[in-house]
Amino acid sequence: MARKLQVSHLGKTFGELRALQDINLAVERGEFIALVGPSGCGKTTFLRIVAGLEPASSGEVTLDGRAVRSPGADRGFVFQSDNLLPWRTVFANAIIGREVAGHVGPAERQRTMELLKLVGLEGFEHYHPRQLSGGMRQRVNLARALAIDPQILLMDEPFSSLDAQTREIMQTELMRIWETGRKTVLFVTHQIDEAVFLADRVFVFARRPGRLRENVAIELPRPRALAIKRTAEFVRYVDHIWRLIEDDVRASVIEEKV
Amino acid sequence: MSQLSDGQAEVVQGGVQSRPASGMRLPRLYLAGVVSVLGGLLLWEVVSRFLVANALFLAAPSQIFSAILALAKSGELWRHMSISAIEFALGYAIASVLGVMIGFAMAESATMKRALQPWVSGLYATPTIALAPLFILWLGIGIWSKVLVVIFLVLFPVTINTEAGLRTTSERLIEMLRSFGASPRQIFFKVSLPSAVPFILAGLKLGIGRGLIGVVVAELFGSRAGLGRLIAQSADAFNMPELFAGVIVLAVAGIMLTAGFGWLENRLVPWTKD
Ligand SMILES: Nc1ncnc2c1ncn2[C@@H]1O[C@H](COP(=O)(O)OP(=O)(O)OP(=O)(O)O)[C@@H](O)[C@H]1O
Ligand SMILES: [Mg+2]
Repeated sequence: MARKLQVSHLGKTFGELRALQDINLAVERGEFIALVGPSGCGKTTFLRIVAGLEPASSGEVTLDGRAVRSPGADRGFVFQSDNLLPWRTVFANAIIGREVAGHVGPAERQRTMELLKLVGLEGFEHYHPRQLSGGMRQRVNLARALAIDPQILLMDEPFSSLDAQTREIMQTELMRIWETGRKTVLFVTHQIDEAVFLADRVFVFARRPGRLRENVAIELPRPRALAIKRTAEFVRYVDHIWRLIEDDVRASVIEEKV
Repeated sequence: MSQLSDGQAEVVQGGVQSRPASGMRLPRLYLAGVVSVLGGLLLWEVVSRFLVANALFLAAPSQIFSAILALAKSGELWRHMSISAIEFALGYAIASVLGVMIGFAMAESATMKRALQPWVSGLYATPTIALAPLFILWLGIGIWSKVLVVIFLVLFPVTINTEAGLRTTSERLIEMLRSFGASPRQIFFKVSLPSAVPFILAGLKLGIGRGLIGVVVAELFGSRAGLGRLIAQSADAFNMPELFAGVIVLAVAGIMLTAGFGWLENRLVPWTKD
């Protein structure tokens, strides 16, 4: 396996605030990485830096050995809010990354159609976002990121606005889609069970300053069925990660109340 | 430019899917309006025939209606209407194009915005219609003085709305496009412009009423023909039915233009109607 993403001594400050400090990590090609941590520990900021949407204050991020400075077609971002263009159809939304890259030929259209089918939206290509449910909109969001055939998928709490049932379905769907392409994935979530269920490794972040606390390898067999969430091994992983961030989460909740 | 027309084609396409529910409710929606208008006309008729009963002060709807017919038959109505229509159309078209262009310029450049903002806000708030006599002095009593008044009244709401629409484009949508490596130009055509269209249309809609008022009032100040002229000369001759005929024709024109615009909005920007 080749090293896909390398982060060394990454730091980010917003004025006085140290959002990220001395992050060091490496991700192999095809790995599924989940990022968890208390609110405000810099998960979104980290993802945005990897995406090239935000400059780092110090340190370096390299993708396939090249330093990241700006957004590019090798990374697909799946946003927390779906950010669909309301005047575009599902299909036109999904293909927009290709449009930006400047080539929309029959091959790209074909591939976008296949992706919409893959995410379960066959037959909805001509619908507009306002005609879709939240789950369907997130599927478009995912298809849009996949349509540029990125090397790495960056997902920022993509299922957080969904109800519990839809969320579990989307988790298994995401696993199924991931198994077909085995892309490298960075997946931010607040749900620890979601992180354990999906990931090969879970990066646990701590706050004030935001930093990488621990890197937990999840050695559960794949493919994983939802039933795995009830096994003792699964629960042990969840407990372990929860204990790592518990104090931090308490602190952040108290702070947000004040 | 091809991207611009692409964007528009896409917008029009979006309008093809209308919600069936609204079609069902239309007759009931109209019912209350029709009853209210007919009732009002009836009341008017009764009041002017039996209470005021003086043709110098108020004309009954039936008298107005026959005045309109007579004016139409003699060709007078058509002469006045076409002049006013030309003045309105010219002023409105010029103001729309200019307004959108100035709005773009203000949204694109902060310096431009700082330089133009005081003029736009000031002239929008000023009743520039009061300058009509001055324009007539400059340009004569022909159509161009009226066209200028219309431009002054329509330009600023269009400019203000265009600028606001471009400026308030959702940051999240811009970020989404930026994540794909989009250039500023692509962001403009694919996100900012389409999301400004509803605002631009709202500004244009606002301009209809202002423009019609502009035409008529400017014609009142001095003109050879036009609905304002018709109203002024009827007033001089104490011909109330003809005066009201002019007003009614104007009202109908305003209502039809606004309704047509609403229909256009439903087709062009259906996503704003939820
Ligand atoms: N553009 C910005 N300007 C100033 N401060 C910012 C900016 N973006 C983020 N921050 C700050 O950086 C810190 C980390 O924010 P970030 O959004 O990355 O946290 P997060 O881990 O994603 O939180 P959550 O779990 O609530 O989404 C926060 O304290 C936030 O207020
Ligand atoms: Mg976040």
